[in-house]
Amino acid sequence: MIKKHAQRIYLALIFILLYAPILTLIALSFNSSKTRAKWGGFTLDWYVSLFQNEDIMNALYTTLIIALLSAVISTILGTMAALGMQGMKKKYRAIFASISNIPMLNAEIVTGISLMLLFITLHMTLGFKTILLSHITFNVPYVILSVTPKLKQTSKSTYEAALDLGASPTYAFFKVTLPDIMPGVLSGFMMAFTMSLDDFIITHFTKGPGIDTLSTKIYTEVRKGIKPEMYALSTLLFVTVLLLLILINTSPQKDELPAKKKTKKRRVGAFLLRRALPAAIVLLFIGGGFYYGSQNASNSEKKVVVYNWGEYLDPEVLTLFEEETGIQVVYEEFETNEIMYPKVQSGAVTYDVVCPSDYMIQRMIENNLLAEIDFDNIPNVKNIGERYFEKSKEFDPENKYSIPYCWGTVGILYNKTMVDEPIDSWSVLWDPKYKDNILMQDSVRDAFGITLKYLGYSLNSTDLDELTEAKNKLIDQKPLVQAYVIDQVRDKMIGNEAAIGVIYSGEAIYTQKENPDLEYVIPKEGSNIWIDSWVIPANAEHKENAEAFINFLCREDIALMNFEYITYSTPNDAARELIEDESIKDSKIAFPDDEDLENCETFHYLGDEADEIYNDLWNKVKSY
Amino acid sequence: MKNKKWLATPYLIWSVAFIIIPLLMIVYYGLTDKEGHFTLSNLAKITTPENLKALGLALLLAFISTVICLILAYPLAMILSQKNVNQSSFIVLIFILPMWMNFLLRTLAWQTLLEKNGVINNILQFLYLPTLDIINTPYAIILGMVYNFLPFMVLPIYNVLIKIDQNVINAARDLGANNMQTFLKITLPLSVPGILSGITMVFVPALTTFVVSDLLGGGKILLIGNVIEQTFKQGNNWNVGSGLSLVLMIFIILSMVFMSKTEKEEGEGDIL
Repeated sequence: MIKKHAQRIYLALIFILLYAPILTLIALSFNSSKTRAKWGGFTLDWYVSLFQNEDIMNALYTTLIIALLSAVISTILGTMAALGMQGMKKKYRAIFASISNIPMLNAEIVTGISLMLLFITLHMTLGFKTILLSHITFNVPYVILSVTPKLKQTSKSTYEAALDLGASPTYAFFKVTLPDIMPGVLSGFMMAFTMSLDDFIITHFTKGPGIDTLSTKIYTEVRKGIKPEMYALSTLLFVTVLLLLILINTSPQKDELPAKKKTKKRRVGAFLLRRALPAAIVLLFIGGGFYYGSQNASNSEKKVVVYNWGEYLDPEVLTLFEEETGIQVVYEEFETNEIMYPKVQSGAVTYDVVCPSDYMIQRMIENNLLAEIDFDNIPNVKNIGERYFEKSKEFDPENKYSIPYCWGTVGILYNKTMVDEPIDSWSVLWDPKYKDNILMQDSVRDAFGITLKYLGYSLNSTDLDELTEAKNKLIDQKPLVQAYVIDQVRDKMIGNEAAIGVIYSGEAIYTQKENPDLEYVIPKEGSNIWIDSWVIPANAEHKENAEAFINFLCREDIALMNFEYITYSTPNDAARELIEDESIKDSKIAFPDDEDLENCETFHYLGDEADEIYNDLWNKVKSY
Repeated sequence: MKNKKWLATPYLIWSVAFIIIPLLMIVYYGLTDKEGHFTLSNLAKITTPENLKALGLALLLAFISTVICLILAYPLAMILSQKNVNQSSFIVLIFILPMWMNFLLRTLAWQTLLEKNGVINNILQFLYLPTLDIINTPYAIILGMVYNFLPFMVLPIYNVLIKIDQNVINAARDLGANNMQTFLKITLPLSVPGILSGITMVFVPALTTFVVSDLLGGGKILLIGNVIEQTFKQGNNWNVGSGLSLVLMIFIILSMVFMSKTEKEEGEGDIL
């Protein structure tokens, strides 16, 4: 009896461990506040807006279809392989087994990149097909792994007995071996399905524009804070699967034993409930997926392939653009300049319009990756303030390749209730008083830029002594830092997790709205001023559409829509005039005065060698 | 059974196309510099103190997580395997179910739970208990690894345990073995294949992960996975990244060889 109780308690504890995060996510799906750091009251809004969000629904169906197809194919391939391996000589079997283990054992990122390299070499367009191939590749080992132990446990003699009794090998296989290994095959299938559903890294490297699985969608959102619709979707998915499981498993005991005595009618009923209904639900999902898929495939000639930062454009704007021009937008997002660059460079996907930052634009120009923009096609460029083009000359000397889209600074966001003195210097980031209360930027250039500025150097320094000094300074700082983060600064500051955080000015306006205790400052030592601009890659296939797209974004009402959605400073002077809220129109955060920017510099591309030095030093800091 | 060999052919072709060839490309990148000349310097990068530290820490954390997973999973698998067949398949699925919530979301949820002002600390404060400060430390990373990889340990062990012939256990009992002896002499040895594949399936992803350490370690703790990821993503240096991956693979292969050796020895034993 005691043993039973102990078992129950043990199960319960593991359950709590497994389901605590799930419950958290479910709770967040009902949270009316947009940030996960604050409970704003109960709402069902996210469930409503989820179904209007075509992006998420598309991603859901892509995910499900890929998971199903890859699971089916890899279960067949894997079971066959496992069976075949049984018949091999020991030596070959060992070799084969280790080969099949590779995708599972290798760092996912290596598998992802190696597959990407392969697809690019074969000139395959990155997209649905390449994701599917990759998923099958990493799924098969899981199937083999779950089937093989079962095979080892099945006794050969039963199978041989069947043969002796006159069964053909095929018949014997289906009657003897397969039922024996079925649990393994099924769990292999489940495993494959689930792994495919859950995979992020490999998908990330092998996907093309305009196609997203839930994982890649979520990852772009991690940067900016997860959209609550995503929690709603996960909750729905979870509940659906739970229901399916319950349906399949309802009253199985009563069903199994006295089955023979039951009337046919009741058996049909039970069958309907336990098999047909779940199957119908699954079919519905998959059917829906193909329907969505076929809608997406409507390949109109007039299209433009856009590659932008995550959450860096009001989705409404895309709809408006498509309605007004009839040009279909294929939209893809990236998280960092460094991820964007190789994708454009490799030419695996031809983008028509991309939005990199200053130093990356310089690098792209130097490597001949960009096309000159025909400004005659972009009359709305007149709305963009002259001084932003002036500033752009640092990376685009003749203003031929880029049109500013957003700009801003890097500064300190602090919580007025948690600091004692007025903050105006980077030095607070080294103040032991704020130990464990500092959020530092987790990116090489930003972290070093700040430190170099604090030490009084240029943030484009390539002087090894200066850089080493900065590195030592950063190592000094490390014990004080609560976490190195990028965009989670936002949620953590809203949730009062830290007193001081390094943040982009565009995020500051949003955080202030959510938590009025927060204040933003550009430190007096100066900082980074950055510009993200639209450029057209040299290999763009729809250059004129790209120019039409840029022109549309430069229109004052559209620029205003974007500004209000993403809260990053707009270089569009005409749009700024249209801002109704005076406090934002004259906000020092969004539109700092020239004297605030006096000491600010833009980042330059420093060359591969300097990049390597920066990265090496940063690794030293991070691993210290 | 020899005539079944051909069944492996499709996957053999598949693995050459999508595993071997891509891997050779990584080897190529790992052994050449940017100009395409042969070099070993990419491999040598592992010997820098920071990379060695990242590798050591990754090995340590992965080892601890694997051990914890094993300790948690084995009793769990045993309890599950003793349940009635249908009921247990349901319970087992319950353990895979969390994986239907996206991995990134689940790990992020731990952040919400563990943070200084997070859910757990709020509850603890409400109960006047000391707060839990493990976010952004290696402990949080271990928790995240155990949480994410536990099902990979439970399932293989469970799969083996339910296959064990109850008669063997009964026979042991009849011959006078107590519970402990039955477990040590019968159940445990018979479940070794499951334990081994469980260890493989937990240790390897734990060793190479970078997402868990990123989200729960506050970016302060650098594992070898993070180094490789940064080299590819931030540094955009495929050569060094590939070189480091090759080194990592050596470690993985070593542990695999060790595993298959153990398995072989055990394998001879369990025929009886």
